[in-house]
Amino acid sequence: MAMMLDILISMTIGSILLLSIMIAGHVINENSQLMNDQVVVQKMLISNAQLVEGEFRNMGMGVPEGDATVLAATDTSITFLSDLDRDGTPEQLKYWVGSPGELSSSQNDQDRLLHRQVDGGMVASIGVVTRFSLKYFSQGQMDTLLSPVDSADLEMIKVVEITMEVQNPAALYRDKRDVKDGERDALYSSSLWRQTRLASQNLKR
Amino acid sequence: MLGKGTLILVLGFGIICGIMGARMSKLQTEAVENMSYYHNVTNSHTIASAGANSAMSIIYQDPTKRGAITSQSFSAGEFKGGSFSSRIDSLPSTKLRLRTVSDYHHYSDTVEVYFNTQRINSFSMFAWLTNFEGGVFWITGDTVWGRVHSNGVLNVNGRPTFYEKVTTAKLFAPKPGVGTNKAIFKKGYETGVARLEFPTDLSELSNAALAGGRRYTTNVYLSLSAGSGADDDGKVYVRTSSGGPVVDSISVADPGFNGAIWSTQSVYVEGKVDGRITIGAANDIHVTNDITYEVNPLNDVTSNDMLGLVANAKVFVDDNAANNANCEIHASIFSRAGSFTAQNYLTRPVSGTLKIVGGIVQDTRGAVGTFAGSTIVSGFSKRYYYDPRLADAQVRPPFFPGFYTQTLTISNWWENVRIPEYF
Repeated sequence: MAMMLDILISMTIGSILLLSIMIAGHVINENSQLMNDQVVVQKMLISNAQLVEGEFRNMGMGVPEGDATVLAATDTSITFLSDLDRDGTPEQLKYWVGSPGELSSSQNDQDRLLHRQVDGGMVASIGVVTRFSLKYFSQGQMDTLLSPVDSADLEMIKVVEITMEVQNPAALYRDKRDVKDGERDALYSSSLWRQTRLASQNLKR
Repeated sequence: MLGKGTLILVLGFGIICGIMGARMSKLQTEAVENMSYYHNVTNSHTIASAGANSAMSIIYQDPTKRGAITSQSFSAGEFKGGSFSSRIDSLPSTKLRLRTVSDYHHYSDTVEVYFNTQRINSFSMFAWLTNFEGGVFWITGDTVWGRVHSNGVLNVNGRPTFYEKVTTAKLFAPKPGVGTNKAIFKKGYETGVARLEFPTDLSELSNAALAGGRRYTTNVYLSLSAGSGADDDGKVYVRTSSGGPVVDSISVADPGFNGAIWSTQSVYVEGKVDGRITIGAANDIHVTNDITYEVNPLNDVTSNDMLGLVANAKVFVDDNAANNANCEIHASIFSRAGSFTAQNYLTRPVSGTLKIVGGIVQDTRGAVGTFAGSTIVSGFSKRYYYDPRLADAQVRPPFFPGFYTQTLTISNWWENVRIPEYF
């Protein structure tokens, strides 16, 4: 009888321990995946940000004083001149973000491609973002220029604010019972980068 | 048995937790490293930018400095462990390059600032400019709205009024406020300033005419037409004799036309301008009748019409029937080695008023009429108005001659870009 009782108690304790391990494993696994995703999106964001930041800082490089540098500007795209290869001839550089759902292979329905094109050549997709927005400011009054910026006002652009968000393309699905109204049915790791009022020195000449 | 089982269970539990903990720790480390990397490269870039600004302040205090300019290491504060060094070097074409290289925890950034040491300004910014005043006096009733400069002596006899600053490389005769010099200088004057050297040739314009404009090797007679009255449909009709057949016609707004017209002989010109053109001649330019803008900038400063008349020798207002009853010229006039003058100004009849809207730059001040006291005897009385658009030294008719001034202006600013590995 006592032996039976021991076995029963052991099984109960064992079951509780096993259940605890399983729950702990699940929690650790979820957190680990989220953290892993966080690292991935941070790396993606930093790579995108460094390229965008660097090229925007050199906006107008090699463009003769008085000539137009920014050729077109909207809240999701910009075309400007910059001597990328420093050969004395400015290249026309265009950045724009694609439409949502452009990436059918991504689980994240907000993923879109950030495109880059030089001199009307091949379009390169430099990264996947969920948000890429641009704001433009004049130098004197620091007024926000309404987007899309009128062609007559392009020369007033002296400062650009870039906001970029990257989310993990792979979803971590949530139990439907945990999803509240207005929330997405999956978790996506997210990183936000904003270069507030980036000013190319070449625009201030 | 149970004891062994429990031990195995606890050990297994411990191993699983340990592996997961290690994994979590590794991820946390990666996340911190990622952030730390961005922080380090941002600091490195900030140090390079700060170093460039620091070096620039030194250069502006002493523009003659070359080679190593400054360097600094940070032993405390936000940039602890960082450093930068700056040097400036001369480049061809009157340029300088200031290069600043930073180092912060083994990350390095470079900022290069390029300077122009000469700045080109257009002669068209002056309402009046001469190399020699030729003994002609500024007198009561003369009024100039734009900038005035002479490389020679400015002679004044009476109360002329100058609305913008007046400069001379020499002096006033007599000195302002002394004797007969009662001139009114609304924005002051300055004597003994640097000479503004005239170009030794007009090759910029003649080369431009060859490259994307029109170049003729005979005398040419140009009729300027404003077209329909709409903007940007102006034409230039070219003849090789007065009243002869049209041998060439130019649409001024044609993207393939750069605005430069040049003759290796002389040019005769009249008409209405719609667009931006500069007409040059290796010899003289003759104004045969009125030349006006389609939209007069005195009435509308947004006018996009602009004309340069650039002669290596003289610019004449011809002595003919059309010009002998007033003449109006809207243009920036440049005579490199001669004068702007009325043809036969000593013998031509009293010709009314010569109205200029633009500016006159000439080697030697030319005459357009003669006076006995305040009574005109021959030629024109003058009404010279300044085109306010030309006050900006960077605004000029296409390829209008310019002059250089010493400066230290930033022409370009370059910062290194970190290209992602995947790119």
